[in-house]
Amino acid sequence: MQLIVTAISKDYGDIAAVRQVSFQINSGDIFALLGPNGAGKSSIIRMLVGMTRPDSGSILVSHQQEHYDHVPRRLLGYLPEDRGLYPDKSIEKNLLYLAQLHGLTKQKALQEMAHWLDVFELTERRSEDLKQLSKGNQQKVQLIAAVLHQPALVILDEPFSGLDPINQEKVVTFLKALKARGMTVILSAHQMAMVEKLADHMLLMAQGKAILAGTLADIKQQAGSQRQMVISCAGPVVAEQLQQWLPELEIDMQSSTRFVLKLTAAQNVSAILQQLVSQIELTQVEMQTADLHQLYLTAMAEHQLREQA
Amino acid sequence: MISRQSIIVAKWEFLRFFKWKQQLISYLLMMAVMAAVALWSYFTDESRKIYRIAVPAEFTISNTEQFQFQRPTIALDEQLAQLKAGESWHGVITLNTTESDQYSVVLHTLAAKKWQQQLETELADYFRQQYATKLQLTPAQLAQLQQPLALDYAYLDENFKGKDTPEKMIALGVLILLFIGLSTAFGQVLLSITGEKQQRVTEQLYAIVTPQQWMDGKVLGHSLSAMKAMLTSALVMLLVFIVVSVVIRDDGVNLSWLNWGVLAWLVPFALLGVLLSACFMGAIAASIDDPNTSGKGAVMMITWLPMLFTYLVIDSPTGTAMTILSWLPLTSFAAMPVKMAMVELPWWQPALSLLLLVAAVWWIRRVAGRIFLRGMQMYGKEPSWGQIVGWALSNKAD
Repeated sequence: MQLIVTAISKDYGDIAAVRQVSFQINSGDIFALLGPNGAGKSSIIRMLVGMTRPDSGSILVSHQQEHYDHVPRRLLGYLPEDRGLYPDKSIEKNLLYLAQLHGLTKQKALQEMAHWLDVFELTERRSEDLKQLSKGNQQKVQLIAAVLHQPALVILDEPFSGLDPINQEKVVTFLKALKARGMTVILSAHQMAMVEKLADHMLLMAQGKAILAGTLADIKQQAGSQRQMVISCAGPVVAEQLQQWLPELEIDMQSSTRFVLKLTAAQNVSAILQQLVSQIELTQVEMQTADLHQLYLTAMAEHQLREQA
Repeated sequence: MISRQSIIVAKWEFLRFFKWKQQLISYLLMMAVMAAVALWSYFTDESRKIYRIAVPAEFTISNTEQFQFQRPTIALDEQLAQLKAGESWHGVITLNTTESDQYSVVLHTLAAKKWQQQLETELADYFRQQYATKLQLTPAQLAQLQQPLALDYAYLDENFKGKDTPEKMIALGVLILLFIGLSTAFGQVLLSITGEKQQRVTEQLYAIVTPQQWMDGKVLGHSLSAMKAMLTSALVMLLVFIVVSVVIRDDGVNLSWLNWGVLAWLVPFALLGVLLSACFMGAIAASIDDPNTSGKGAVMMITWLPMLFTYLVIDSPTGTAMTILSWLPLTSFAAMPVKMAMVELPWWQPALSLLLLVAAVWWIRRVAGRIFLRGMQMYGKEPSWGQIVGWALSNKAD
C-alpha cells in the first residue's frame, strides 16, 4: 500500500482547515500527524477516510497493482477522534458486528478477536457490556475494532488519548505489532515521546499548513539539530562571566553552579570544552539532543513568529 | 439491490430491539391490567344490587330487578330522616304537578351514584306511559311512537360493496395495525439513529459501510421491527376475538369473514407503507444532531397522517378525497387498501398504485441516505430545512 497526498486543501466556510499539504506514505510505515488542536490533522484524516473530499489536490492509493483516487473502505481500519461503539452491547457483540460488516466470517472474526483480546488482556471480560468498562478499556476495544479485519491501512486519530502511561505503552506495542503484520499506520497524536518511539515518518502541522516533514532525523536537521551541553561547576560562576568566555552561545543559568549551553550544528564541542576547562573546574558535562517534544515546541514558536511577521 | 452489509445492519438493528422476554412481560401486564379492570367493574357494578326507593302513594310504577318501589305511610320529613340515617331507603321521590300539568320529580338521595342514571330511565318510561294514558293512547300506539326509523340503503353503484362490510372492518384493523407499526418504528428509528450519532458510532461505521448501505440496513431493520409489532398485535387481536367468541359468547370460532383476496392486497401495501414511513423517519432522524434540542423529531409524526386522513374519509370511499389519497404514493398505503375493501376496483388500479408506492420508497430511501451523508459532514451543525430539501432534490452523486 502506498499513499501519495498531493497539495490537498479543505475549507469549512471561511476557515481554511488544510492548506496545500503533501506527503507520501510507503507500505508498512508508521506515519504520524502532529500539531496542536485545530492544526488540521483530523481534517486530513477525514479526507483520507472519505468522509469529506479535498477542495483541491489529490489522494492516490496504490495497493497490489491497483490504483485508487481514495482509500477503499475494504483496505481501511479507522479509529475516529470521537470514539463510539454500542455501550449496551458486550465487547464480543460489538466486535463481531463490526468484523462482519468488514466482510469477515464469524469464525474468522472470533479467531482474530481472541488474539487481540488476549493482547489487551480483555479475554475474561469479553461478555461484559461496553458501558461496564473503564474509558481506557473501551479505547482498547475500539482499537481492536479498527484492526480485526487486517486492513492494509490503519488510521488512528489520537490513539493514546485517555490512556494511562502503562496502557500507552501497550498501544505502542500494539502499533509495532501492526507494523510487523505489514499494515501501514497513520496516527495523529500529542504524545511526542510515543510518536518518537514509533513513527517512521511524521508531518508537523500548524493552522492547516505543513511545517516540518520527514523522518525524525530529517526533522531534527530541518529544525537546526538542536543540541545542548549541560555543565556543572565545582564552585559558583557568574553567568555574565561565562557569557564573556563563550559569546557565541546562548546560555541558560539553572543555578550558580549549573548552566545549559545551547549549541548549533556548526559549533565545535571540543573547542567549547577547552575554553571552559581553561577558566573553571567542571564536575560534570552532559550532551543532550533536543527530543521531538522540544523540536515541536520550537517549531511551533517559530511558526507563530513567522505568521505574526 | 440490498447489499450484504445492509442486511447485517438490518439484522443488528432488528435484534437490538427484539426483546421477546420484555414483550411477553408487557403483554402479560396488559392482560393483568385488563383482568383487574374487569374484576373492578364486576365488584363495583351497582346494577346487580337492589335499591329501595320510597315513592308517593299515587305512584303506580312497578318493581324492576334493580328497583323496589315502596309507598311509606310516614311523613316526608320522617322518610328523609330515615334516608339520611341510612335506614330503609336508598332514595325518596317526591312529586309536584306544575300549573301546565307537567310533572316535577325530585329524587332525594345522600349523594350522586351510578344507579341513579338507571332509575332516571325507569322513571322516564313510567312518566311517558302516564302521558300516553292521559292522551288515551293504546300501548300499540305508544310502541309505534317509540319505534326508531328503519332506514335501509340501496346502493346503485354496483362496485360499492356496502357500508359496514367485514372487509371494512379488516381495513380498519389494518389502519390500527399500521398505526401500531409506525409508532414502533418512530421510537426505534429516532432512538437508533440519533443515539448512534450521539454515541459517535456513525463515524466508525462510515469507514466500513456507505451511508446508503447504513440507511438501508436501518430502514429494513426497523421496518421488520414494525412488522413484528403489527404481526404480534394482529395475533393478540385474533386471540381476543377467539376468547370472546368461545368463552364469552359461547360460539365456535368463525373466521369466514376474513376475505383472503383483500388481505393479499393489504399485505404488500402495509409492508411498503412501513418501509416508506421508516425511510422518511430515517431521513429526518439523520438530520437531527441532538434530539434534546432539535425540533425536527416531531416532524416524523407526519407518517401518521395518511392513516388519519384515510379514517376521516372512510365513509366516502368513492369520493374525490379518497381517490386522491389512494393514488398519492405518500398516502396510498393507507387509503388504497381501505378503498379496495369497500369498492370493487379493476386490478390495474391497486397494481399501479402499488407501483407508484414502490417508486416513492426507492426515491425516499436514496434521499435518506443522502441526508445522512450530508448531515454527517456538517459535524455538529444541524442542517436547515432549506438544505434538507436541496439535498432531497439534488441528483449529485453521493
